[in-house]
Amino acid sequence: MSDFKHLQEIIAATLKIPAGNITESTLMEDIEEWDSLGHVHIMVAVEQAFDLYMDVDDFAELTGVRAILDYIDAEKGHA
Amino acid sequence: MRITDAQLSKLLDMPSAQALKSTLLSRHMIPSLNQADQLQRRLGELDATPVVARLGIVHTYTSELLEPWLQFAATLNGLTLETYHAPYGVTLQEATSTSGLARHQPDITLLMLRKEDLHPALSLPISTIPAAERGEIAGEFCSALVSLVTRFRNAITGQIVISLLPDLNAPGLGLYDSMAGQSEMRWWNELKGAIADAMREHINGVTLLDMEQLMLDSGRRHFFDHRLWYASTFPFSPEGCFRFALACSDIAASLYPPRAKVIALDADNTLWGGVLGEDGVDGIELGPEYPGRAFIDFQKRLISYQQRGFLLVLCSKNNPQDVDEVLREHPHQLLRHEHFVAERVNWLPKTDNLKSLAGELNLGLDAFIFVDDSDHECAAVRHSLPEVEVVQVPSRANEIPFCLDSLARLEITSLTAEDLEKTAMYAREKRRKSRLAELTAEGGSVDDYLLSLEMCMTVRVDSASHLPRLAQLTQKTNQFNLTTRRYTEQDIARMIDDPGTSVYQFSLADTFGDSGVVGLAIITRDNQGRADIDSFLMSCRVIGRSAELAFLSRIIDCLEAEGVETLTARYIPTRKNAPVANFLDDAGFETMENGDHRLELEKRGDGPLRDLPITIEGP
Repeated sequence: MSDFKHLQEIIAATLKIPAGNITESTLMEDIEEWDSLGHVHIMVAVEQAFDLYMDVDDFAELTGVRAILDYIDAEKGHA
Repeated sequence: MRITDAQLSKLLDMPSAQALKSTLLSRHMIPSLNQADQLQRRLGELDATPVVARLGIVHTYTSELLEPWLQFAATLNGLTLETYHAPYGVTLQEATSTSGLARHQPDITLLMLRKEDLHPALSLPISTIPAAERGEIAGEFCSALVSLVTRFRNAITGQIVISLLPDLNAPGLGLYDSMAGQSEMRWWNELKGAIADAMREHINGVTLLDMEQLMLDSGRRHFFDHRLWYASTFPFSPEGCFRFALACSDIAASLYPPRAKVIALDADNTLWGGVLGEDGVDGIELGPEYPGRAFIDFQKRLISYQQRGFLLVLCSKNNPQDVDEVLREHPHQLLRHEHFVAERVNWLPKTDNLKSLAGELNLGLDAFIFVDDSDHECAAVRHSLPEVEVVQVPSRANEIPFCLDSLARLEITSLTAEDLEKTAMYAREKRRKSRLAELTAEGGSVDDYLLSLEMCMTVRVDSASHLPRLAQLTQKTNQFNLTTRRYTEQDIARMIDDPGTSVYQFSLADTFGDSGVVGLAIITRDNQGRADIDSFLMSCRVIGRSAELAFLSRIIDCLEAEGVETLTARYIPTRKNAPVANFLDDAGFETMENGDHRLELEKRGDGPLRDLPITIEGP
């Protein structure tokens, strides 16, 4: 499964919305359910699913699907 | 431990919520949010009609991030949650009868508080406070909490669970803390004890959930996540969320019927390793070496369940003399005959034995938890007696000692004197039965037997001294229960205070000992000489001794003295309360056209309520 597919599934399950609503260009502000609490849930879920340890300062930057995918890419590169 | 994809697919195939829960706990598996979501959807397919539990949360730090975990934990206990999260930080405003919390009508209210909410001095390390002032601060902390909880108690019904967030960091004095006179941990532990005492004595229906104890299962570093604490004022890691949510849900689940009362134990490969009939008394695994050590630990754990108020019974396919030898003589056997209120050691089907145990103890089969290692026995009981909860003993001995820990039905929210005495009371009942058998063999009648018991009943009215026990009686009594209305401690307390309602209770002593509080009646009355029996119930332990008639006759004496002329009552049949079906007729009530029963008190005359073999004292 591509990272995007995996992330799409995780965001959809976390926010309880259809996966189809999430594209690579979706931003936090596009989705009502993606509020500040939803964002913390997504961060925790991404961390668990991709086996990462995310810096709390990064939470505020990762406010869109593209940003999260780039972050995952970069972290994988480090590993 | 995190759960791999391979483990997840096995977990998704688990046959029941309880099987899944016990596997997660015994293997220390902590699901991720998404795994929890998948497992929860799967359990939703298995159990289409879970019980709805209403949870209210009042919090001074973020609680909403706990929500998916609360839902997941509830599903593991066969519940679905409807949660109300009070607005952040609001506390006292919620403690009114018109608040959002009260309107939610919670079955259980969770207070998520921080220590510094209750005393401003706690924003600084305790070690900075001079020793002389520390006791005073503890006292003020305790009174602040009692007064806060009292306000909630007066505004809402249901169980209240208090949680106080532990320090996210190790004690300020570091490794020396345990040695220091100004130890923070010691101060806090003593204060927790004082809080528990105050709650138990002054406020009913309250549980202090010991968060430090929960944290021990994970360790501080795994229980908390400092990043979330600083980003969202939410302290818990996913693991902490899971454990905290599960503890809250276990307390909620333990309050729903049917209540468990009996643990029915197999012997071979359950109380000891190996097969007694083949390995012999000297050959079974029970002793200082593994796996024998694990079985000793399990027996210790079972004694602890007895201390919680559960009865132990033995249900084993074995030669009775072999088991007797282990119980009497094996040097490492901890459970002896006196620990078991009843034993079935024979070659009959276990389903038959369970039925006859239920008969002997006067309890329903749904009060039984059956513990056995055999696939075959477990399947047979599940199939023929679905009301019995079956726990299969794990095949790995190291998992056996704590295999019952995941059962919410074995959690308790009160511990009464009767609970602690229960096993001894059943032993006395056994002696009464043999007295009856002896007397009957000598040609005596049941009346002779009852007289020989020299029974003395003590009746009390509107006494709050046994409140937890009175609530417990309404919740646990299924057989001799006229209306089967379940009440909480708060309900009973309110009825005691209500001048139009009287709450009668009785205890019964005889030559064999004191039964403790075993009967309860709730009577409402108007000011026109009419009274009505809302509830009338009696523990199965005293059925068959005319106690119900003696109790009713004393209640009628009291009502007459208050000017009551007519007493009405009704029998509401359930699947289990046939033993009380004829009680009203037997007591001389007449049946009215609408099916209710009525007794004109002056007509009671020399009827069945006179010449009872019981001396009555009070009120």
